[in-house]
Amino acid sequence: MAESSMKDISSRIKSIKSTKQITKAMELVATSKLSKAKERIAKSRYFHSAVYAALTDIAKRNMDTDSVYALKREIKKSCFVIIGGDRGLAGGYNSNVFRYAKEQIGDKTVSILPIGKRTTEYCRRMGYEIVSDEFSNVEEQNVGSCHEMANLLTDCYLKREFDELYVVYTEFISVLNQRPEIMKLLPLDKNMKEDHITENKGLILFEPGMESVFNAIVPSYVAGMLWGAVCESTTSEFGARRTAMESATKNAEEMIDNLSLKYNRARQGSITQEITEIVAGSGL
Amino acid sequence: MNSFHLKIVSPDGMFFDGEVMRVSLRTIVGDIAILAGHIPYVTAIGTGECRVFVDNTENSRRAACIGGFINVTKDLVLIAATTFEWAEEIDFDRANNAKTRAESEIASGSTDGHSLELAKIKLARANVRLKVIENNKQ
Repeated sequence: MAESSMKDISSRIKSIKSTKQITKAMELVATSKLSKAKERIAKSRYFHSAVYAALTDIAKRNMDTDSVYALKREIKKSCFVIIGGDRGLAGGYNSNVFRYAKEQIGDKTVSILPIGKRTTEYCRRMGYEIVSDEFSNVEEQNVGSCHEMANLLTDCYLKREFDELYVVYTEFISVLNQRPEIMKLLPLDKNMKEDHITENKGLILFEPGMESVFNAIVPSYVAGMLWGAVCESTTSEFGARRTAMESATKNAEEMIDNLSLKYNRARQGSITQEITEIVAGSGL
Repeated sequence: MNSFHLKIVSPDGMFFDGEVMRVSLRTIVGDIAILAGHIPYVTAIGTGECRVFVDNTENSRRAACIGGFINVTKDLVLIAATTFEWAEEIDFDRANNAKTRAESEIASGSTDGHSLELAKIKLARANVRLKVIENNKQ
């Protein structure tokens, strides 16, 4: 009996060791990707915050504008850009952002632009209308593709295919802490999240005209915001994966320790038994 | 002349943050220069060269500045460009290759409306980059 349990235990130890190797490798990969993503996020945050502040300021001062991007419409349909991961094994990263998105969507009629393979799968499963699955691979997105996305979305917005635009992403606070967030991109309105405005006097001169300026800058604003959100989300994903893999590695180590103890006990037990048998045999 | 606070950002990061005397760039309606005390002003950036004058001399830093917008407020001038590259950071070979590629694409005549438009934009971008390098040598 001891023999067979020893064999069982040693094969379990072996399999856990190889799992541990995988989780360890994934942890290392995530760590190196995380440091790159952190650099990227630092760069994109300048643009993100500066552009958001500027656009909010412009929109607030010129609420009497008749630009289609600033006008409030009756909400018949909303568009959500949901940014998730391409892969699982990142703790609660994907499920947190999906749950949050679902809460935010509520009972609105929506179409979704999913970013991330997991997000696309999720939206299909939930039966949401999908705007485009062209941008499914979150790790391949760059500034250029965010511009394509922004052009596509602003086009649809102008065609009144939807009446408001949100982006749901995961904000990177620290390696251990990421929080799903929502940001309203269109229409530009007074109820934007933060209050950046410093002064509220004086009109702004738009050249050649407000309408054409808005038409030119809104797509690049949307692109900037999306790029910022993609950077935040990918960094969060690597952070979440690193943490998840770190704890998986730790768990594996613990299991190996426990099993080794059991194995040694079984080994000792079998030796003792053998000795007892031999002693008992010689005593005859 | 007075100085003012200029900030230049693009999705690739922060390129400038400090006091300057004058900044000039190409907007969708033409070349403009901003001096201190400009009224609040917003316009979209075209495809052209941006020059930053840090002191009162004619010495400037040059850059290729494409797309995005400029927002002039009382205490800050913000250039939020889609693409911003200082002259010394532009890759000459890459720009040159892009130029030849775009030119041959246009010359081939096989491209239709949309991709012809794209090729023309690419050509304009490449030309600006090359021009900025050229100007910077003088």
